[in-house]
Amino acid sequence: MAQAISTRSLTKKFGRREVLHGVDFAVEAGSVFGVIGPNGAGKTTTMRCLLDIIRPTSGEVRVLGKDPRAGGPQLRRRIGYLPGELFLEGRVTGRTLLAHYQAISGPVAPGRIDALAERLGLDLDSHTRKLSKGNKQKLGLVQAFMHDPELLVLDEPTSGLDPLVQQEFHAMMREAQHKGQTIFLSSHVLSEVQQTADTVAILRDGRIIAVESVSGLREGAVRRVRFTANGTTAHDAGALLGGVPGVGHVEVLESGGSITLSATVEGAIQPLVRALGTLELTDLVLEEPDLEESVLKMYSSPADTGPADAGQREAAR
Amino acid sequence: MSTTLPLFRRAFFDSWRSTAAWAAGLAAATFLYLPLYPSLGGSAQMQDMIDALPAEMTKALNYDQIATGPGYTQATLFGLIGFLLMTIASVGWGAAAVGGDEESGQLELTLAHGVTRVQVVLERALSLFLRVVLLAALVFVLVRLLNDSAQLNIRPENLFGAAVLFAGLALLSGTAALCAGAVSGRRTYGLAAGAAVGVLGYVFNAVGRQSEDVEWLLDLSAYHWAYGNSPVANGAEWAAAGWLWGISAALVAGAAFAVNRRDVGT
Repeated sequence: MAQAISTRSLTKKFGRREVLHGVDFAVEAGSVFGVIGPNGAGKTTTMRCLLDIIRPTSGEVRVLGKDPRAGGPQLRRRIGYLPGELFLEGRVTGRTLLAHYQAISGPVAPGRIDALAERLGLDLDSHTRKLSKGNKQKLGLVQAFMHDPELLVLDEPTSGLDPLVQQEFHAMMREAQHKGQTIFLSSHVLSEVQQTADTVAILRDGRIIAVESVSGLREGAVRRVRFTANGTTAHDAGALLGGVPGVGHVEVLESGGSITLSATVEGAIQPLVRALGTLELTDLVLEEPDLEESVLKMYSSPADTGPADAGQREAAR
Repeated sequence: MSTTLPLFRRAFFDSWRSTAAWAAGLAAATFLYLPLYPSLGGSAQMQDMIDALPAEMTKALNYDQIATGPGYTQATLFGLIGFLLMTIASVGWGAAAVGGDEESGQLELTLAHGVTRVQVVLERALSLFLRVVLLAALVFVLVRLLNDSAQLNIRPENLFGAAVLFAGLALLSGTAALCAGAVSGRRTYGLAAGAAVGVLGYVFNAVGRQSEDVEWLLDLSAYHWAYGNSPVANGAEWAAAGWLWGISAALVAGAAFAVNRRDVGT
């Protein structure tokens, strides 16, 4: 099977309010697919449709080759799900709770739960309602991963996790991918998705507005370049850089015989490197591309295609 | 790992503290009320006092038969304090079973696993049934134990029938709560529906007994279906028990049907 998930013209109405207006995407089996979008864009609703928690108003959904509703319990045993908001109440220990979820999900290898809990630094013997948000999230991750499902559907998986645990979680995702598992995850920030995902879909107001491979985003991404050079003038350096395709926002400072120039570079960097080779550089910084900026270009309206400034970034989040 | 009835097991065993607490409450009520019968209900003084009360009041409280052991047990334990405790327990459990679980956000994760919605409702309803039956069985056993020492003179078969009706009456409120919670996805609506069945049943019985003009209220009162002929004294009307248990089962089926058709957690 080539596609682990596919949706076609998926719509969902709650009463009169339509929250998904025809969502189309496909997730290749064995890949990591990230959906990003602001809160309320429809990420959680889409995920719930995959698990038959919510029934689509129209359109077609296929998960592991089956319709979620027709697939029933057999299909859901092959999926690991982490809900966006995890509520665990009751006076039971994490171990007891996981034993319960084990009884209603796919087969769990012996020792798997303890191994996962140890990796994430989760104490299985404390009561679930006394756990902090981060520890509840770890418990949720353990229940999603423990039966090594073919498909993992993770809604905001790193929310509440501290950076070290996030790294461990990223390692778990890579291992899952090596084992051939497919991962479908959501986030409201790209930085989280870009580290792990192969493909990113941008969901906004109930529509997929772009599906890009992360490497494609990287190519189209905007980098910042900053260098200091001797033996040239601000005018000459500016003219040199201005002739390089993809360079914009050039700013030059001249002081005491050297100049400091900063600019943005879009697309290929080879022409820029060639141009820089003619200069007597004393310092050079070429930053890693900020995918967030290239994505935000897609978020913003077509009329406004310039690099987003900080204000727009905050607004778009 | 395959375990039989995993959802039932969780619903039943994780709530053992609650079950034990209600059992302790019912036991305390039984031990408090029944041993008082020889000095209270059975005494001539008490009968004089009850005769002095307005007839409407004794009817409303079902105290018109309080001078006999079975009548006293019927009026105080099965008809009042036990009815109250059992109904509250059953309504609380019923409202929490589906509506409360959905409202707290936990049902979503359960349904994302290898279970069907019908299975979730049925197994949790089974847990409710079993807990209510356990409490009714406890009351049956305790009344049997106190029968001689408290001079109650209750016939075992009548006590058994009363316990079946006692459980059925509580189940009706509990399954009404379960059904309303399952339809709405809200615990509060479940509590309201369950409480309405219990309270209106009691009130319709108390008012309906006052005069022939309002006797039709008795037909609407589940309390009167169960206790209209004082089962502890006169034996159960099994048709009434069939109605109580049958409607409860139908409410569970309705809950399963409703949950199976709608979106969860929205």
